[in-house]
Amino acid sequence: MMPAFDLRALPAPPRRLVSAGLLLAAAAVAASMGLDYALGQLAFVATFAIAGLGVVLIVGQAGQISLGQGALLALGAYTQALLARLGVPPLLSLPLAVLLAAGGGWLASLPARRLGGLYFAMSTLAFALIVEELLVRWSGLTGGAAGLPVPTLALGGLAADSAGAEALVSVAALALAWFACRRLLDSRTGRAWRAIRADEGAAAASGIDCARSKAAAFVAGGALSGLAGALYAHWIGFLSPEQFGLMLSFELLMLAFIGGARHLAGALWGALVIVAIPQLIALLRDLLPAGLGTAAGLELLLFGAVLVAVVLWRPQGIAGK
Amino acid sequence: MLGFLQVLTSGIAIGCIYGLVALSFVLIYKATETVSFMQGDLLMLGAFAVLALNAGAGLPLALAVPLGLAGMFALGAGLERSVLRRALGQPHLTAVLLTFGLGLMLRGALTTVPAASHSMYRLALPFGDEPLRIGSLALAPAHLAVIGATLAVAALLTLFFRHTRAGLALRACSENARAAALMGVPVGAMHTLAWALGAGLAAFAGLLLAPVTFVHLNMGLIALKAFPAAVLGGMTSLPGALLAGIFLGVVEALAGLVLPEGTKDVVPYVLLMAALLLFPGGFGAALGRGRG
Repeated sequence: MMPAFDLRALPAPPRRLVSAGLLLAAAAVAASMGLDYALGQLAFVATFAIAGLGVVLIVGQAGQISLGQGALLALGAYTQALLARLGVPPLLSLPLAVLLAAGGGWLASLPARRLGGLYFAMSTLAFALIVEELLVRWSGLTGGAAGLPVPTLALGGLAADSAGAEALVSVAALALAWFACRRLLDSRTGRAWRAIRADEGAAAASGIDCARSKAAAFVAGGALSGLAGALYAHWIGFLSPEQFGLMLSFELLMLAFIGGARHLAGALWGALVIVAIPQLIALLRDLLPAGLGTAAGLELLLFGAVLVAVVLWRPQGIAGK
Repeated sequence: MLGFLQVLTSGIAIGCIYGLVALSFVLIYKATETVSFMQGDLLMLGAFAVLALNAGAGLPLALAVPLGLAGMFALGAGLERSVLRRALGQPHLTAVLLTFGLGLMLRGALTTVPAASHSMYRLALPFGDEPLRIGSLALAPAHLAVIGATLAVAALLTLFFRHTRAGLALRACSENARAAALMGVPVGAMHTLAWALGAGLAAFAGLLLAPVTFVHLNMGLIALKAFPAAVLGGMTSLPGALLAGIFLGVVEALAGLVLPEGTKDVVPYVLLMAALLLFPGGFGAALGRGRG
């Protein structure tokens, strides 16, 4: 039986201190593992942060819940990969990937938009499971469970074939997405989201079309996931359906939860933590006794423990207030 | 025709398992407003617990089953007391992340046991593998056992919720926790009871599943099908969840007969999305049935 511990007694970290600590850790990683490694990780952090922005819009701004973000990433990734294999230039294929994932977000949220709350979790979950099954079964197109190799991102003579170029493209895409989100949050839609989050009844009484605004949040979240997925496909170089399972959706939720879903910056901090956790777990493994450290399932156990500890520490999210 | 009847029986049997897991999910959701994403892991752990007691410790099945279920009951209660209580009154996201994390811990911890991760196991049945023959119809005893046991559990639960003090208190607490508290119902204890029952039911479903499939680390994936069942049942109805589970099992089995290979696994999720669009209150509300 687990002891009745109370992590809530621990104080919340001051934001500046955490930011400084994370940056310091990132610098330490760059110094010890080499610049190329650090730039490669930076590409992943920026890519995950784009997907995290989508979760921040849905969870933090509109106050809804989505368990299907992983599948939306998959839609973006597979669209981009298949188009790139056909030789379609990224200036055309990236918008298509974003569009398809946005459509997926719309479709996933459609059944629940009048019900709200938990029903969004259910319908996005069902959508994600359908997409995952399709990716496996439609093997003529997607390569099925065997996977699909992805060519390097290239436009004309320019190719993102080094870690530095990957990082540059990701950071540029993140900056664009960030700018778009800022604009969106300051717009009528963004205000509608915050109103719905605070009190849906009052929002409806003030003339806000709640169902439409919620759908807009899922469409925007889908579009950002699609962009992240398309870039991720190139950085990872090889797609298979199980990369985009339920685990990824939960990782993205956890990302927003850790970073703080109320602020756009939460997506960035969350992404940093999510990319760092597997490395941290690898470090922890080395500290454990030899027989225990190599056991299968330990990563699952540690990841679960981190998740539980984070939630128990701050049930409302770390930077939530 | 005979093949159809056999498919129907196996569909009902699998549906009973979906229904039982959905029942455990709805029971917890109704009583504590907490969404549990760990029912599949509890299901798997329950099957492994009984297996360990039976094959590992050499206890007879008649002793291993009640002991294993009691252990899972206690685990559910303990988790509620120590951890899950913290998710009360928080947004759904908190409970979803917390239970998912706990589920990962349970699955990860079990995976570290080499004996559990290296092979699949079959729980020895007390009534053998010989199919029951009625004329030329052959029915698998495992399927019949699942159906019989589900009926028995449904009857027991009905008695519990209608005629015992604890059952009535649990129902009162699910309907309106504040009013129940004012009437002297110990709401905290009822939350513990709901989680204990939820864990016990999930473990029981795992036990029933064990002879049908094998006991292995991924058997908890079947619990994903419990979400469509819970939604089709209207999210707050216990009999609705069980019936919707059986309905899904049958539809899935029939879809396997008619639709191309591989599409049948998608059917419950398509039904979930269609049901939300067409019958947002669940099929039960559409039929105008009372709540249990």
